[in-house]
Amino acid sequence: MFVRRMAAITAVVAIVAAGCSSSGTPAPAASVAASGGGTGAGSAAGCIVGVSWNNYQEERWAKWDEPAIKAALAAAGATYISTDAKSSAATQTTDIENLISQKAKVLIILAQDDSAIKSSVATATAANIPVIAYDRLIEDPKAFYVSFDNVEVGRMQARAVFKAVPKGNYVFIKGDKADANARFLKSGQDEIIKAAVDSKDIVNVGETNTDAWTPAKAQTEMEQFLTANNNKVDAVLSENDGMAGGVVAALTAQGLQGKVAVSGQDGDAAALNRVALGTQTVDVWKDSRMLGKAAGEAAVQLCNGTTVDKISGASPFTTPGGNTVSSVLLKADPIDQTNLNDVLSAGWITKDVLCKGVTAGKVPGC
Amino acid sequence: MTIESSATTATTATAAAAIAADQPPLVEMRDIRVSFGGVHAVDHVTIDLHAGEVVGLVGGNGAGKSTLMRVLSGATPADSGQILIEGKPVTISNPRDAKTYGIETIYQTLALADNIDAAANLFLGRELTSRLGSLDDGAMEAATRKIMFRLNPNFKNFKVPVKSLSGGQRQSVAIARAVHFNARILIMDEPTAALGPAETAQVRDLVRQLKAEGIGIFLISHDIHDVYDLSDRISVMYHGRVVDTVTKDKSSTDDILAMIIMGKKPHEVTSEEMAQILA
Amino acid sequence: MTQASPGDGLTAERPRRSIRSLLQSTEVDTRLLGMILALAIIWVGFNIMSGGLFLTSRNLWNLSVQSSSIAIMATGMVLIIVSRNIDLSVGSLLGFLGYTMAMVQVVWFPTNPLTWLIALVVGVFLGAIIGGFQGFIIAYGKVPAFIVTLGGFLVWRGLLFEYALGQTLAPMDPTFQLLGGGPTGSLGESYSWIVGILACLGIIYSLISGRRRRRGYGFPLRPRWAEVTIGVLGCGAALGAVWVANNYFWPVELAKSYAQTHNIVEPPGGLQIPTGIAFPVLIVLVVGLVMSFIATRRRFGRYVFAIGGNPEAAELGGINTRRTIVSTYVLMGILCSISAAISTARLNAGVTSLGVQNELDVIAAAVIGGTSFSGGIGTVPGAILGAVVMQSLRSGMVLLRVDSPVQDIVVGCVLVAAVGLDTFLRRGNKR
Repeated sequence: MFVRRMAAITAVVAIVAAGCSSSGTPAPAASVAASGGGTGAGSAAGCIVGVSWNNYQEERWAKWDEPAIKAALAAAGATYISTDAKSSAATQTTDIENLISQKAKVLIILAQDDSAIKSSVATATAANIPVIAYDRLIEDPKAFYVSFDNVEVGRMQARAVFKAVPKGNYVFIKGDKADANARFLKSGQDEIIKAAVDSKDIVNVGETNTDAWTPAKAQTEMEQFLTANNNKVDAVLSENDGMAGGVVAALTAQGLQGKVAVSGQDGDAAALNRVALGTQTVDVWKDSRMLGKAAGEAAVQLCNGTTVDKISGASPFTTPGGNTVSSVLLKADPIDQTNLNDVLSAGWITKDVLCKGVTAGKVPGC
Repeated sequence: MTIESSATTATTATAAAAIAADQPPLVEMRDIRVSFGGVHAVDHVTIDLHAGEVVGLVGGNGAGKSTLMRVLSGATPADSGQILIEGKPVTISNPRDAKTYGIETIYQTLALADNIDAAANLFLGRELTSRLGSLDDGAMEAATRKIMFRLNPNFKNFKVPVKSLSGGQRQSVAIARAVHFNARILIMDEPTAALGPAETAQVRDLVRQLKAEGIGIFLISHDIHDVYDLSDRISVMYHGRVVDTVTKDKSSTDDILAMIIMGKKPHEVTSEEMAQILA
Repeated sequence: MTQASPGDGLTAERPRRSIRSLLQSTEVDTRLLGMILALAIIWVGFNIMSGGLFLTSRNLWNLSVQSSSIAIMATGMVLIIVSRNIDLSVGSLLGFLGYTMAMVQVVWFPTNPLTWLIALVVGVFLGAIIGGFQGFIIAYGKVPAFIVTLGGFLVWRGLLFEYALGQTLAPMDPTFQLLGGGPTGSLGESYSWIVGILACLGIIYSLISGRRRRRGYGFPLRPRWAEVTIGVLGCGAALGAVWVANNYFWPVELAKSYAQTHNIVEPPGGLQIPTGIAFPVLIVLVVGLVMSFIATRRRFGRYVFAIGGNPEAAELGGINTRRTIVSTYVLMGILCSISAAISTARLNAGVTSLGVQNELDVIAAAVIGGTSFSGGIGTVPGAILGAVVMQSLRSGMVLLRVDSPVQDIVVGCVLVAAVGLDTFLRRGNKR
C-alpha cells in the first residue's frame, strides 16, 4: 500500500517537474539568471534585482519587457531574478518575501492589485530595498513609478476618435473594474471630450466595464448597445485592442465596420492590421522595450545608492490617492493609417502581418 | 437448462442429495478467503449448492454470509480460492461475469438506483432495445407490469422513481430483477426484510416454485425459522468460517441456534453452555 | 407509506389537487414548465424596463446567438453532474481548443481551401482526447473529478498562454466564420421555415407514435385534449421562433452592400432580407436533440442516470461504470470543441482569454436548468433553458446599461434563488 502510494507520488512529481522544465523561461519559484559578465561599467556588479511579475503569461511581458530589463541589467553587470504571481495578489506577497530572502537589492514590481501590494512594499522599503512600480502605479510615496502615461494614452485614444467623429453617439467599453489603468484611461478620454459632452455634441449612449478585459464579453456588450440604440452609434472608445476586436466583430455583423470610429491600445498585431484595413481608427502603441530599459536603468541607479528623486529623468507625479511619487512616464505613440511605418521600422511587426488583406499602396506602409 | 427435467422432480432434500451423487454440484466454492485490512471476513470457506436445492446461510452479524455471497455475485473479489460451476472452474471478477453464468442476486441493500423507475431498475444493465439500439421503454414497462403482477399485484406505480415507493414495493422490484432473467443460481440476501406478512408468504411460495424449476438458491436470513422451513441444507457461519453444514433431518432449530451463538458443532457444546443458550 | 388512495385528501385541497393531477395526467415536466414561466417573466420584465427593446426580433435573435456557446456545453455538463462528477475545465478547454482551431487557420494551413474543415476536425478530436484523458484519470485513477478538472482548468489555460504568448490570431477562414452566426451565417427565410415545419412534424409524429405504442401495450393513455394541447403549443413555439428569426432583417448597411454586389435595385426603404435562424442556434438545436436522445433513449444515458442515482447499484447491475464516466468526459470535450468553434468564429479571432469564467456559466446554466448536485437528476432541455435564462439576464442588463458589478450581483442572487426555490418545491412535493 505504502509503496504504491510512494510510487504514485514520485510519478506525479516527475510529471510536474518535466512540465516545468519544458515550460522554459519563467521558472515558477525564482530563476536566477546570472546576466553576462560585467563588461561595461561594472558599477552595479553584485547587485541583484528582483522582478515580481503579476502574470507572466500575457504576451508582452515575456516577449518585450523582460528581455529589455535583462539587457539593461546585464549592461551594468547586475543579476536578474524573477517570480510570477499568476494573477494572484496573495501569491505576489509571498513572491516578494522570496525575492527579499534571495538578497534582492532592488525590487521591480508589476502589481496585481495596487492596494494589496502596499504592505509588501512597506516591508521592502523599511529594509532599505527600493521599489520600482512597473507599468502599474503603487500608492506609496517611497516607490519609484515607471510607466507609460496611461492618462495620456486615454487622451490619445479620445483625440484620434474625436478628430474623426467630433459629433455623435459614443459608446465606452472600459476595462476590468478592478484595474486602476481602466480608470486612468477613462479620465484621459474624458478630458478630451468633456467640452463636447457638455455642449451635447457628444452623447454617451452606452458605458460598461468588461470583466478581465475579455474580447468575447466586449462583443456581447457592443451587440446590446447597438440594439439599444438601433445602430445609431458613431464612435466607440474601447480601452484596449482585445476588446476593440470584439467591438469590431459586433460592428461587422451589422455591416458597420469602418463606418464607426474605434480606439484601442497595446499594438496587438491583429489590431494594427485592423488600423491598416480601416476598421479601427487608432491603436495607441506603447513600446514596452523602452519601459523595460527605463526600469532596468533606474534599478541600477538605485542599487548604487541613488535616491528615487535623483534618478535621471525623474519627475514628481501626483497620484489619484494624493501621494507624490518620483516617476518616469514614457510617451506612447498613437498609430493610425498615416504612421503605420512607425511600427514597421521599429521591428514591432512584419509587413505581411500588418498589411494582410490590405490593397497594396492604399495606406502608407502597405 | 439441461438439468431442468430431472430437477423438477427434486423437490425434497433427499432427492437433491441423490442427484449430487452422480452429478457435479451446480456451484462449488472452494477454500474462499476474503480479508479486509487484516480481518478475515471469509476464512477458508468451502460450500456447495445443487440444482433444485435451497441452501440456507445463517450466522450472526459479521459472520461473513453476505461477503461470501458477494464473492459469488462478483461484487467483492476473493483473495484466494476457487469457484466451480457444474464442475468447471470459472473466474468471477465482476457482476457482469456472474450474470453470464446465470447467477442473480437480491442484495440486502436492494441495489436500486433511486432516481429511475421500476422498469429501468429491473432491466438495469440488460435493457431491451429496438433494432437501432435505442431503449424500448414500452417493452420494458410491459414486461415489468407482467412480472410485478405475479409478485405483487398491488404494485401500480410504474412511472415514478423507485425512491417514492414503499420498502415492500422496492423489495419487490429487487426480487423481480433477480428472477426475471432465467437465473440458474439465485442468491437471496434477506429477501423478506422489508415485507409484510402477505408479501413474505408470496416470496416463500416463489422460493418453492423456483426450486421446483431446478434453480439453486442460496438463502441468507436472520430469521432462523424462515430458513429452516425453506432450506434443504443449512450452513452455519461464525467469524468467517463455516461451522457446519447440516440437513434438517439431522438437526433441530435449537442445534442451529447453538452453532450460530457458540460457533461450535452441537456435540462440542457442553451441557452448561446449552443450558445458558436456552435460558 | 402505503399507497395513498385518491380519496383521502381534505375537500379544501380539492382545487389545488385537481390542477396538479391535471398536469400529472399530461405527463409534462412541471419543472420545465416552471422555468419557461420564469423566463417569460424575465423577458416581459426587461421588455417593460427597456421600453420595448427586449422583445424585438433583433434582440431575441441576438440573445439566441449569445446563448449558444454556453447552451451547448451545458448539455454535456448535465450528464457529468448527473453522474455525480463535475467539470471545472470547460472554460479553459474551450479557450485552448478555440485557439488551436485559430492556429490551424492562421498559422498552420492558412492557404488550404479546406482549412475550416481541418480546424474543426482537429478541434473535435483534440477535445475528445483531452476530455477522455481527464475522464480516464477520474474513472480509473479514482482521483476526484473536482481535483482533476481543477488541474485541467489550470493546465489547458496555461498551455494556451505558453504557446500563444498572448497573441491574437485573426482573421478566421470565411467559411469557418459562418459558424459564428451573423446575418450571413444564418439559414435565411425559406430554410428557416423548413426547419420550423420539420420540427412541427417531428413533434406531431412523436406524439402519435408514442400514443400508438402505449396503446399497443395496453398502458394508460394521456387524455386526448392533453396530446392536442401539447402538439399545438409545441408547433406554435417552433413556428413562432422561426417567425421571430425571420422578422429580423439584415442590417441596412449589409443589405445595401448585398444589393450592390448582386446588382439589385434597392426598393424605397431599403432591401428587406429576413435573417432566419442563425447557424450556431441551429447547432444548439441539433446538439440538444442528439444529447436528449442520448440521455433518455440510449443505454449510455440510462447508465449515467443510474450511476448518479446509486453508483453501487449501477456497478452491481453489471454496468461498466468507469467506461461510462470516461464517455461523459469525451462527450464534454467534443461539446467544448463545438462551442469553441462557435465562439472563435463569432469573435473572428483566436484570443487567449476565450472562455474565461465560462465554467461557472455552464455549471450555473445546468443547475438553474434543474440539474441536482446530489446526482441522478437533470435534463438536457432544462440546461439549454438555463443557459438562455443566464444570457437573458446578462444581455437584458447591458441593454438597461447596468454595469458589470451589479450584473454579477443579480446573476448570483438568481442562481441561489432558483436552486433554493427548486429544492423547497421538491421537498414540498415529497410531503
